[in-house]
Amino acid sequence: MNWLLIAMRNILRDATRVTSTLLIIAVGLAALLVGNGFMLSTYDSLQEIAMRTEGHVIIIDDNPDPVLGGSHQQLTLSNWQATQEMLWADERVLRVLPRARFEGMISKGNKSAVFFGSGVDPKEEFRVHGPFLRTSGLLDPWLTPQDTPDIMLGKQLAQTLGAVTGDLLTLQTKRSDGTSSELVVRLAGLYYTGTPEIDNHTLMTSLTTATTLLDSNNISQLSIYLNQREDSIAIQQLLQEQLEGVTVQTWQQRAELYHKVRSLYDRIFGIMGLIILIVVFLAVSNTIALAIYQRREEIATLSALGTKPVRIYTNFILEACLIGIAATTIGMLLAYAISNAVNLAELMMPAPPGKTEGYPIFIYISWPHYFITSAVLIITVVVASFIATRNATRVSIVKALS
Amino acid sequence: MNTRLKLDAISKRYGGDKNSITALQDISFTLTEGEFLAIQGPSGSGKSTLLNICGLIDNPSDGDYYLNGISVAQLSISERCTYRRRDIGFIFQRHQLIPAMTVYENIAYPLLLNGVQPKQIKHDVNQLLNTMGLEHRRKHLPKQLSGGERQRVGVARALIKRPQLVIADEPSASLDHQHAHAGLQLMRELNKQYGASFLIASHDAFVIDHCDRKIELLDGQLKASP
Ligand SMILES: Nc1ncnc2c1ncn2[C@@H]1O[C@H](COP(=O)(O)OP(=O)(O)O)[C@@H](O)[C@H]1O
Ligand SMILES: [Mg+2]
Repeated sequence: MNWLLIAMRNILRDATRVTSTLLIIAVGLAALLVGNGFMLSTYDSLQEIAMRTEGHVIIIDDNPDPVLGGSHQQLTLSNWQATQEMLWADERVLRVLPRARFEGMISKGNKSAVFFGSGVDPKEEFRVHGPFLRTSGLLDPWLTPQDTPDIMLGKQLAQTLGAVTGDLLTLQTKRSDGTSSELVVRLAGLYYTGTPEIDNHTLMTSLTTATTLLDSNNISQLSIYLNQREDSIAIQQLLQEQLEGVTVQTWQQRAELYHKVRSLYDRIFGIMGLIILIVVFLAVSNTIALAIYQRREEIATLSALGTKPVRIYTNFILEACLIGIAATTIGMLLAYAISNAVNLAELMMPAPPGKTEGYPIFIYISWPHYFITSAVLIITVVVASFIATRNATRVSIVKALS
Repeated sequence: MNTRLKLDAISKRYGGDKNSITALQDISFTLTEGEFLAIQGPSGSGKSTLLNICGLIDNPSDGDYYLNGISVAQLSISERCTYRRRDIGFIFQRHQLIPAMTVYENIAYPLLLNGVQPKQIKHDVNQLLNTMGLEHRRKHLPKQLSGGERQRVGVARALIKRPQLVIADEPSASLDHQHAHAGLQLMRELNKQYGASFLIASHDAFVIDHCDRKIELLDGQLKASP
């Protein structure tokens, strides 16, 4: 006897109800998968941003500047060139970028504003930031040592000052020895990230210019970029052992936004996922319970003929599995189609809190998640079916047959 | 002759203590090996209730009964299931065919449950399909059959495993004469070859005439047999 064939006949016998069950599961699954795919891509891009802005491994000095205390301006990492040389020799390391952080006032004519500045290796800096640091109005050549040093401004900061590319501006800052320093610079271009804290208040210049301005060869941090992010912890541990008086962190420890968003999304999507699962379970178990209850006469007959309960359960669970497999296949295809359509349409998300710009919606298609979620739903259908069968077999044979 | 079935003061009441309906009251009789026993009685007299109890698909409220000398009250649920599977063939009033099974599968099902070899199943089912004039219907589903055809499949399903006890609840109700005859012929054969006993509720004079003995029910009580 071909039980599979009999299960198929039973499923087709009840086409309308089966169709509604299929649709509930398929739509529920698609919602879960698309939501999850969006979450995964968001996590991934936040990790990407964290790694690109901070580096995979970061070296900072343990002790704050004795004069400037807890301020943004910390030029305490000395002897960093030796560390840089050493790291260049490691084939896991792609780039080692020094960054000197300083702060002060920037003015153009009678307009002035507070700034947070970084002295960096400009070309390399833009390379590692990739699409997350965009520029406009760039002069050529830019941020290269010249008679008048160059700077780049955050787009909004330039707007505040009414400055355009080519303008001359004055930087004022305080050195570690307490004296103040002043430098006339040329605006060589603008950059923007979509994060107001950066675009409204920061400027960038070459490390050479910063060194001149601050009269110090020290930097604030050394950012290490690796070929593979998986090496981060190994490198961190190695450096922490080898170097003294410094703190070595991985990007994970500095990816504050990523961790914040992740814990928020995990909760939101977790609860949403749970709700969808419960709704699917309730809807499906309701339909299945009704469908199986209406077959109590058949169940009673099987029982009257001496069929063991195990056989009866097996039949109904086989049907549930077939429905579950068909429904989840449809759901996965649906999720796959929706994800691809959204990715191709290049839709934009509205700006998240703390951002001025939205970002493109991208939905990951993760086959392990597809199959695990489908398995969960198939189990749900099987459980619903099991419960319904148990209830239907509890009706006495005579009652069910009359 | 050995006793196949012995009922000892069987009663069946439905409902609670106050307004309970007594469907059967103090029924005692015996059915011997190889005996054909007809149960007569108007509608509502308790025939189905009695047959359900004898077929181990219902329990009496009082009294005990013995199948091949074994007290049914002592049997566990799964032992009853085994008896139903192995020893009892039930012909239901409303056929009760499995909707998703073909005629062939419906008839083969009891053999499958009893672990009969596939070759043997095929042989037996084909033979019985032939006897019952159903061979052209073997691949059809129950919903594609006429009432009479369904009843014949129901009869074939009950007889295929050659049970010791066949219980039939008004089996000829929708059988035409020719097939009723074929069915009875088959029952007689079973009866001769294996000593099967038959308990048949019927109004049909043709069927009753073929029985060895008849008992009459009225309002759940046994009328003294003539
Ligand atoms: N599940 C039940 N609940 C209450 N009364 C029942 C039930 N089943 C049968 N009866 C009653 O028991 C009596 C006998 O019914 P039944 O055995 O079906 O008679 P018959 O088969 O001779 O027509 C009838 O009065 C019927 O109404
Ligand atoms: Mg009846």
